Amino acid sequence: MNKKERNLQKSSGMSLIVKTITRLTVGLILLYGIYIVLHGHISPGGGFAGGVIIALSFIHLMLAFGKEEALRRFSKEYMAFFEGLGASLFLAIAVLGFFAGYFFLDFFVNKGTPFKLFSAGIIPLSNVAIGIKVSSGLFAIFVFLVLLRIIGRDKE
Amino acid sequence: MRVYFLCFLLFAVGLYCILRKRNLIKIIIGTIICEYAVNLFLILIAYRMEGRAPIYSSGQNIENMVDPLPQALVLTSIVIGLAVTALLVALAIRIYDKYKTFDITKINQLKG
Repeated sequence: MNKKERNLQKSSGMSLIVKTITRLTVGLILLYGIYIVLHGHISPGGGFAGGVIIALSFIHLMLAFGKEEALRRFSKEYMAFFEGLGASLFLAIAVLGFFAGYFFLDFFVNKGTPFKLFSAGIIPLSNVAIGIKVSSGLFAIFVFLVLLRIIGRDKE
Repeated sequence: MRVYFLCFLLFAVGLYCILRKRNLIKIIIGTIICEYAVNLFLILIAYRMEGRAPIYSSGQNIENMVDPLPQALVLTSIVIGLAVTALLVALAIRIYDKYKTFDITKINQLKG
């Protein structure tokens, strides 16, 4: 094993080819997830599916660059914050129905014209909340499964 | 009728995988196959011949659509299945840390 190979093994993540392709594609995957979340009320998709795609972009980053690089961009504190933000945002949108004199989750301030992006009342807002929650939660599940194995390995 | 039988066959494949395999990872894969067979069964019940996807878009009449209610149910079921799979994988990782094996016949100590 020469010096170059040892350096390649020591640096975290995969080879140069994978890293270059990841740099090109990871932004596109993130944008596609955001598109799916925002168009959830007029086309197939929605909060869960778009959130999964956003989480997959972070997982893609982690697989290619190693866990330090991914956790530097989206740390555990951010994950906890965004997961709580998604849940409380959804609850806040639902409770807004009481203040407007309707029922729970029944707050249609502006229906808009159908089949346009800004329409359907609270449904796109709920989709955004679910997307935030699902993306941070799914990435947290992946990260903690990986970290759990490494902690167990260090113990022995 | 035949598709329901094939669906049951897929469920039986998953059940065989759970009952006969000794590797924990293969057992988890068996539970996933069972789960997806049930999801496929629910979707197939709601299907009607030459039906369209139940998406209301502009300039289309609401006619001859498949039933959207089981699809919403299955979407929830997929989310729950994701959580169950994550729980099973976490348990498998902890078992591997403790016993250094995935073979369930070698995991025979209650403590220690």
